[in-house]
Amino acid sequence: MKNKMRIFILLLTLAIIIMPSGCSKKNKEITKVSYRLKWLFNTSVAGDIYADVNGFFAGEGLDVEVKEGGPERDAIKELEMGHAHFGVASADQVIRAVSKGAPIVVIAQLFQINPLQWIYRSNETKINNVEDLKGKIIGITFGGNDETIMRALLSKYSISEDKLNFFSVRYDYTPFYERRVALWPVYRNAEGVIIGDKLDTAKEPVSFFDPNNYGIHFVANSVITTQNMIKQHPETVKIFITALIKAWNEALNPANSDKTVEAIHKVDKDTPLDIIRRQLDITRQLMKPTDKTVFGSIDVNAWKETERIMIEQKLISAPVNIEKRLRKEF
Amino acid sequence: MFHKRLYQFVFIYILGIGFLFLIKKVLNLSDYVIPSPVEIYETGRKVFLRYIPDVLNTLSVAIIGHVLSIFMATIIGIISRLSNWIGSFIKTAAFNIQAYPIVAVAPIIFILLGDGLSSRLLIAAMICYFPLLLSFIGILSEPVVDIEHFYVHSGKMRWQLEVKIRAFENMNKLVTVISGSATLAMVGTIVSEFIGASSGIGYSIRIALYQSDLAKILIALFLIGIFTSLYLAFLEWLGRIVVRKWEHNS
Repeated sequence: MKNKMRIFILLLTLAIIIMPSGCSKKNKEITKVSYRLKWLFNTSVAGDIYADVNGFFAGEGLDVEVKEGGPERDAIKELEMGHAHFGVASADQVIRAVSKGAPIVVIAQLFQINPLQWIYRSNETKINNVEDLKGKIIGITFGGNDETIMRALLSKYSISEDKLNFFSVRYDYTPFYERRVALWPVYRNAEGVIIGDKLDTAKEPVSFFDPNNYGIHFVANSVITTQNMIKQHPETVKIFITALIKAWNEALNPANSDKTVEAIHKVDKDTPLDIIRRQLDITRQLMKPTDKTVFGSIDVNAWKETERIMIEQKLISAPVNIEKRLRKEF
Repeated sequence: MFHKRLYQFVFIYILGIGFLFLIKKVLNLSDYVIPSPVEIYETGRKVFLRYIPDVLNTLSVAIIGHVLSIFMATIIGIISRLSNWIGSFIKTAAFNIQAYPIVAVAPIIFILLGDGLSSRLLIAAMICYFPLLLSFIGILSEPVVDIEHFYVHSGKMRWQLEVKIRAFENMNKLVTVISGSATLAMVGTIVSEFIGASSGIGYSIRIALYQSDLAKILIALFLIGIFTSLYLAFLEWLGRIVVRKWEHNS
């Protein structure tokens, strides 16, 4: 009896020691997180800036460091290295990373329509259908997703690449301004507005060629995190994404335009207010194309199409079943 | 000498790759962050031969830029020793221009000269020219008193002789400076290709970066290292011959 009592007390003591620590490990949430954007602070990250400036994260008890992205930044690598908890990456980056075993998960899709389009002078170049691209000099960034999109488009419409000319695109737009290139890739909601403005001032009307109108649904930027983060800190992930989506919805609400433009201008002082305003209007159309669109919703079919295009162009060697990495509910 | 340079480079490269694999193992990183040995091997099989002409293209531009820089630095170095004022002016200008980051200057060069050979050449020359110039000015302005005073006192000193004496007395230094600046010429060419050109290994690295393909970058770095080592070994060999010849003639 004495022995049984001793064993019982011993087990009870062990249970008291182990249980709280076990429970706390499972439920321990973090309040200080880092969020790496894909690009520099501009209108494309309006909601992220809005959330930060207007205390959406702080209101939920989260201390979020919103970090600017850039050409040399890769949020996926930072997530894996533990330098960031959340990030923004393009779909092709995500699919490529998943194909190489990166443990990442998509938790919200920012753009419902890819902002990558081609600008051209509408009084000199007539494009009413894909066939009209034949014989034109088209700017593409070799290795970039504009190359993937353009090749997918040409393949879809069975246009041989020798029917047109590609021009290697860099940071400066001189070849386009000098008319050496007829179509130049731009992000419709960012440089698209700025270059369009410049040419407009020079009395050169512009139009945009949008592959989305011709059935190429190539997903653009999305918010990502790691599988481990979702497993270890599900509540933090839920709070973060809920606050972020709420902020984006407010930022894109036309009634809050002034507030959003002001928030963006605080961190993007080089862009005039009226340009930011027009960029925001276009961003809204790309992120919430209809009133019914739920901001952040993940278009699984578009993701599958993006994966199919990448397989077709041998950018990944085998299917990755990307739909398994799309987390639609929390 | 050539094979010694290659062994040394391959050893350093293997150490670097080994360090990356160690980090990959310790931090349990995916192949997206650091590629696996198999992926590097497979990528190597695919791109190795394709990258060789790219590296040779880059190396040829770097060599031309380097030779031009040596030529210009020699002339300016000789001119700048004519007077203290000219020397000091050129030095200040060289220091100032050197301080400008090439990534900021390069886009202007590409706008003015286009994305062809001339831009790459100019950037390569710019990167290796100024360090060369400063060393040349330093060497050619420093009197070798023990030898020069004899010619000065006998009234036989000419500027050609002065340059010859100073160059001869500092030949080892000059060879080291020239060899050292060769890597700068290579770096300059790669940077220019990365920023704005449409050919060369820097351009291939940029495309690989867009595709987040570190394996391709590692292969490119391997080839850059091999060819740069060969060029350095060649310069050192040439330097030894020149030194030997000068010593023999004197």
